[in-house]
Amino acid sequence: MNGAALSRWTMAYFAAAFGLLIVAEALMACGYGFPAVAVEAPETLVLVHVTAIGWLSLLMCGALFQFVPVLVGQPLRGRRLVLPALLCLLAGLACLLAGFLSLSGVVEIGFPVLGCAAVLLAVGFALVATALARTLWSARRTGLPMPARFVAVGLACLAAAVLLGAVFALTFAGLLPTTDVVGWGLPAHAVAGFGGWLTFTAVGVSYRLLPMFMLAPETERATTRLAWWSGGVALFLAVLAAPAERALSGSDTSLAIAGLLGCVALACYGADLVFFYRRRKRRAIELNSRSAVGAFACLCLTAVLAVAMAVMGEAARHVGALVFLAAYGWLGGLGLSQLYKIVPFLTWLECYGPVMGRKPTPRVQDLVVERRDGPWFILYFAAVLGGAAALLAGRPELFRLAAVAMLTATAAIGLELVLARRLFNVAREKRLPEGTVRPHLFFAAQR
Amino acid sequence: MSASYLDLDVRPILRDGGEPFSAIMEAVGALAPGQSLRLLATFKPLPLFQVLGARGFQAAAREIGGGDWEVIFTPAGAAAPEPEAAATADDPRGWPRPEVELDNRDLDPPEPMTRTLEGIEGLSPGQTLAALLPREPLFLFNELRARGHSWHGFTEPEGHYRIVIRRGGQAPS
Repeated sequence: MNGAALSRWTMAYFAAAFGLLIVAEALMACGYGFPAVAVEAPETLVLVHVTAIGWLSLLMCGALFQFVPVLVGQPLRGRRLVLPALLCLLAGLACLLAGFLSLSGVVEIGFPVLGCAAVLLAVGFALVATALARTLWSARRTGLPMPARFVAVGLACLAAAVLLGAVFALTFAGLLPTTDVVGWGLPAHAVAGFGGWLTFTAVGVSYRLLPMFMLAPETERATTRLAWWSGGVALFLAVLAAPAERALSGSDTSLAIAGLLGCVALACYGADLVFFYRRRKRRAIELNSRSAVGAFACLCLTAVLAVAMAVMGEAARHVGALVFLAAYGWLGGLGLSQLYKIVPFLTWLECYGPVMGRKPTPRVQDLVVERRDGPWFILYFAAVLGGAAALLAGRPELFRLAAVAMLTATAAIGLELVLARRLFNVAREKRLPEGTVRPHLFFAAQR
Repeated sequence: MSASYLDLDVRPILRDGGEPFSAIMEAVGALAPGQSLRLLATFKPLPLFQVLGARGFQAAAREIGGGDWEVIFTPAGAAAPEPEAAATADDPRGWPRPEVELDNRDLDPPEPMTRTLEGIEGLSPGQTLAALLPREPLFLFNELRARGHSWHGFTEPEGHYRIVIRRGGQAPS
C-alpha cells in the first residue's frame, strides 16, 4: 500500500463549495426561485444548479480527491488535472447561471453563453472523472473494495448527468435542433445527478469514513453488496431504461422497478448504518458522527415521503419539497457534518504531521469547540425540516424564514471551519511548535 | 526441547489490572535461539497467538485449573508467511527484532499514529518497532515515507493491522 498524501486543492474546492452554499441559501432567503416561481422556471434552475454543481458537486469532488486514494490505498493519479478542473467548473457554472438569467429575461447576452457552459462543465467534470477513474483503475489488481465500487457507479452517473445537461444547454442555446429532449431526459438527468453521482457516491464514501471515525468493524457485509447491486440496477433502469421505455411505449414500468430497487438499497444502507453505530468501539462519538444522524434521518424521510406521494399520485406536485429535503437535509447535512471533521483533521495532519512524535502537538479535537458548535447543527437540521414542511404546506413566507435560519447556521459553521483552519481554537502556547507552519486557508502545503 | 523453557507468569500483573504485553515481549526478546516460552495467564491469550504466530512461534495451550492457562510458544524456525504484505523496498527479513512493541488497537484516532511516531523517535537508526493498529494506516505511511523510514505490514485476520517500522535517517537529536 502506498498511503494517502494530502490533496493540495481540496480546501479550495471546499471553500468554493461553501461560498456557493451561502449564495444559494441567501437566494432562498430572499425568495428567489421556487416556491415564488414554478419548479421549471429559469430562476429555479439558477437555484438548483448553484446547489447541485456549486455546493454539492464541488464539495464531493474535493472530498473524493482526498478520499478515493484512502479507499483504494493508491496515490491520486492525474494530480495536475485538479486545479484546471476547478477553474473549468467555476467558469462553466458562471456561464450556466448567466444563461439561465438570460432565459429569464434579466440580462441580454449577445453570444451563446449556455453553449460555453456546456463545454466548460463537460471539460471540468471530465478532468475530475479522469483523475478519479485512473486512481480507481490503478487498484484493479487487488480488486476494488465496496466503497470504491459505489464511487465508480457514481462517476458513471456523473457522466450521464453531464452529458444530458450539456445536450439541454446546447438545445437552449439554439446550437442543437429543438426536440423534446428536455421532456424525456430531465428525470434521468436529475436521477443521475442527485441519485447516482451525489447520493450513491456519498453512500460509498460514508461506508469508509463512518467506521474510520467511530472505530466500527469494516468487514464487508452482505447488506452492503445488496445495497450496491440493487442501487446500481435501480440507477441503470432510471437513467437509461426508463427514458427509452417512455419514448417507445409511453409506460413507466422500469421506473417503478427502479423505485422498488432503490428502496431495497436504502433499507440495506440503513441496516449497515445501524450496524456501524451500534458496533462502534468509540463510545463517545464526535459531533460530526452525531450530526450525521440528522442527514440520515432526512434521507429516510425523503424516501418515505417520496413513496407515500407516489402511491397517492402527488409526487409531481411536491417534487420541489422532496428535492429540497434530499439536497439540503441529506446531501448538504451530511456534507456539513463531515466537513466539520475533515477540515480539522486535514489541517491537523498538514500542520503537525511533520513534528508528530518529536514535539508535543495538540489533538485534532483541540482545533474545534464541539460544545459551541452543536447548536448550529441542530438549528440547521430544524430549519431544513421546517423549510420542507413549509413547502409541503404551500407557505412560501415560512420557507423564507427557514432559509434565513439555515443561512445563519451555515454561516456560523463556516466561520468555525475557518477558525479551525487558522488554528484559532488551539491554546496560543501550543499552536505552532517549532518546525510547524500555519496552513494556508485554501490549499495544502506539499512535502 | 523439554528443558529449554523460559517461564513467565503474568497472572499477578493481570490480577492487578495491569497490561502484561510489554513483559511478554521482553521475555520473547530474551529467548535464546530455539528456546520456548512458557506463559501462565488468567485467560487464553488468543491475540498473543496471532502476534507471536506472525513471528514464527507455534502456540500450545492447556487449561491448568482455576480458569488459568499455560501456553507454550515454540519457535518454528522460519517466520510464518504474511498475507497481503505491504512494504518498502528493502527486505524486512534482515531487520533486527523490534526494540519496542506497541498495542495501539484500542486508542482513539489519531492516537495510534501519534504514539507510533513517538515510538520511532526513541529508536536509533536501523532499529525497529512493531505496532498493532486498528486499521491500515494510510496517512502514517505517508509520514514514514517523508521521514525516510522503512516499513513492512499487513492486515491480520482479526481485522487489525500489524506494522514493523525500521528507523532510517539520522539519530534522534
